[in-house]
Amino acid sequence: MASTAAARAATGASKVVKPIFSRDFDEAKRRVRELYRAWYREVPNAVAMFQLDITVQQGRDKVREMFNKNKHVTDPRLMDMLVIKGKLELQETIHVWKQKTHIMRYFSESEEPRAADFLSKFYRGHEP
Amino acid sequence: MLGHSSCKFSPVMASRVLHQCVRSLARPSLRLLTANPTVRAAPAPLAAAVRPLSFAADSRRTRWLGQSRISSGVLCRQYGDLPPLTLETIKDRVMYVLKLYDKINPESLQASSHFMKDLGLDSLDQVEIIMAMEDEFGFEIPDGEAEKLMTPAEIVQYIADKKDVYE
Repeated sequence: MASTAAARAATGASKVVKPIFSRDFDEAKRRVRELYRAWYREVPNAVAMFQLDITVQQGRDKVREMFNKNKHVTDPRLMDMLVIKGKLELQETIHVWKQKTHIMRYFSESEEPRAADFLSKFYRGHEP
Repeated sequence: MLGHSSCKFSPVMASRVLHQCVRSLARPSLRLLTANPTVRAAPAPLAAAVRPLSFAADSRRTRWLGQSRISSGVLCRQYGDLPPLTLETIKDRVMYVLKLYDKINPESLQASSHFMKDLGLDSLDQVEIIMAMEDEFGFEIPDGEAEKLMTPAEIVQYIADKKDVYE
């Protein structure tokens, strides 16, 4: 706390916070890459174990999609938190603590995309 | 001396190694040049034509046994190992794997094309490429060094460093 206050007073703009795992952006990127490798190697095993009705390529595309959703993140602590959550999911998938329905939840759209053009907004309507 | 590969590898890799063996048979190697070329050339195409390429290990073993007996006159043992890596073969295999990758255009691929700048790939694509190289050559590439390999030439150089291949 004292160190944070001192650092804040000294620099004025940047805040020094306690890291979760990685100290800088590169280390966090390395963790993200390791997680991607683990998921990439796990997909064919998961498709076989859970007897999923998807191809391995579809599974890998879905993994890529989930990683791309958070592509814009640059804060190392946030990246570490996302990596931790990804590792939790991976562990549950590897040990078959999940079931087929939990894996297929990745593939079902839960929220509909926001309407961008005029006609979609018109059809959707707005609250009076 | 080239020996037959172990049975652990997948049929794809075994067939690829077999093609390399057939190719190197057609290209006379330095050691076999000293022997009588006509005698050597005669059994090789015969053996390749007669034996079916499907059962890889057996055909290669018998072909090479006949080869060694004729050329050197002395029986030499074949230990179970891959044919020795050369810079050329490493480069061929790396380019082959890269051409199979669907996000890369095979025509625009060269040894010095950068993955991110020239081919427009993502960092996750580069991770996938390095993993394909790991599967191809059968050894782990740690992530600290993998993130620096950005061109096929660098990959070839790294594998040659790791496998002690030099010209």
